[in-house]
Amino acid sequence: MTERRLTGVAARIDARIPRPEDFRSDLRGPGTAARAGTWLGVAFGVCFLTGLYSHLLQDPVARIPLPTGPARLYQVTQGVHVAAGTAAVPLLLVKLWSVFPRLFERPPRQPRRLVLHLLEKGSIALLVGAAVFQLVTGLANSAQWYPWSFGFRQAHFALAWVAVGSILLHVAVKLPAVRAALGAPLDRAPAAPGAPSRRTLLRLTGLSAVVAVVATTAAEVPGLRRLAVLAVRSGDGPQGVPVNRSAVAAGVAGVLEDPAWRLRVVGPDRTVELSLDDLRAMPQHEAVLPIACVEGWSASGTWGGVPLRDVVALVGATAEADVVVRSLQSRGAYRASTVPARWVAHEDSLLALTLAGEPLHPDHGYPCRLIAPARPGVLQTKWLREVEVVGA
Amino acid sequence: MKAARIALGGAGAAALAWGLLLLAGLGPQVLAVAVWAVGGIVGHDAVIAPLVVVVGALAAARVPGWLRPVLVGLLVVLGPLTLVAVPVLGRFGARVDNPTLLDRPYWAGYLAVVALALVVTAALALRRRPRPSAQP
Repeated sequence: MTERRLTGVAARIDARIPRPEDFRSDLRGPGTAARAGTWLGVAFGVCFLTGLYSHLLQDPVARIPLPTGPARLYQVTQGVHVAAGTAAVPLLLVKLWSVFPRLFERPPRQPRRLVLHLLEKGSIALLVGAAVFQLVTGLANSAQWYPWSFGFRQAHFALAWVAVGSILLHVAVKLPAVRAALGAPLDRAPAAPGAPSRRTLLRLTGLSAVVAVVATTAAEVPGLRRLAVLAVRSGDGPQGVPVNRSAVAAGVAGVLEDPAWRLRVVGPDRTVELSLDDLRAMPQHEAVLPIACVEGWSASGTWGGVPLRDVVALVGATAEADVVVRSLQSRGAYRASTVPARWVAHEDSLLALTLAGEPLHPDHGYPCRLIAPARPGVLQTKWLREVEVVGA
Repeated sequence: MKAARIALGGAGAAALAWGLLLLAGLGPQVLAVAVWAVGGIVGHDAVIAPLVVVVGALAAARVPGWLRPVLVGLLVVLGPLTLVAVPVLGRFGARVDNPTLLDRPYWAGYLAVVALALVVTAALALRRRPRPSAQP
């Protein structure tokens, strides 16, 4: 197939746009792209699976039972989610750099090849757009920065499927090239003595990923906390636990000290109202449970209170019933949450009244909050006013 | 390998279609999502990548070969780290009612990492520097 010939202005413009062969770095090429791409695929795969798990916890599907323990499960999966996404930043940048010249390939003229060319470029545009979107929105969300007008969770979830789908398609298209590249030696002889090699570049990419992960998420690993100079939380807070949403931000600061506060418990048999003293008079249970946020940070505390199952037993709940807990908050997407029956049955699922042996700090949900094992922090509803037995 | 490619491609197309369906379900928000996704492509292909190409071309023309690997290292480590640090360095999500959020001295920590990277780079560069030969 001959090179297509352009004339006039088009030819002059074309002459000014670089061609793939104008990019001279020996560090680029299939060897670099296949290896950085493999790591990137692993990082996105880990993000996708841990993200799917987090999504299922927040929007449960009845046919998919999720484990209620160990208590730190969500802390680990969500920490890994954020760490893998952070590691993906240098991997994606180096991967895109290694194939950047191909952006300047001229489209072929023959219609069938042109269609294939446009399909491939289109799928790569989807891949790059979705991948960059996921990393940018994920990192901004972890610092509670929302400079956009769409709902983060729904958009991040939808584009996760777009990203993973376009990655799988891309791998399917490129599999022979990937296998050939991984089978061939990585480096030819370096162009100039002492000049960087592809192996050096890939090692540096790995180092970059490690540095980024340690600087942002090492706060979750004991002993490494001080190295996490970019962590969104130092881990300090009232009663030793950081706060995601304060009482002021939730608009409940003025109503927490109301002596007329009662916890309304609604069940199939009857409805009861419990004062704080009523709750304190019930058998108390203590559990060490983490607040593990979707943003990737977590902190453990010793919580004390009444097991949720004991409270709903007062109104005739069965073991198969889910429970909805509702907050005093009048707005906010997370002012209520559903506790699936498997969690209700767990003795560590508490209507907590104390943290570290003291009454809850207002920012931790005084007078009474939900705390249960292996659940995202946003579902550990604070400032409760109502507990309702639903279903079954 | 053909079967593997067909399986991967089929799974990919299905996931992609599901994702686009979910996107369509977002209603009018789709426009803002599209702006950010296209903005990601433009931000990379029109800003970050050309910048790196220019830096690379300059280095290839001006910097001796023995110095280039350590400079590549500096760029590969500090470039992504700087992008990752933007949300905390700007403290855009900080709130007065919540002192437990974004509560570290981020600029100090970031500059400490940069300083450490520069020191390591300088030490490596000194070791790689070709010794002037003693012979006349």
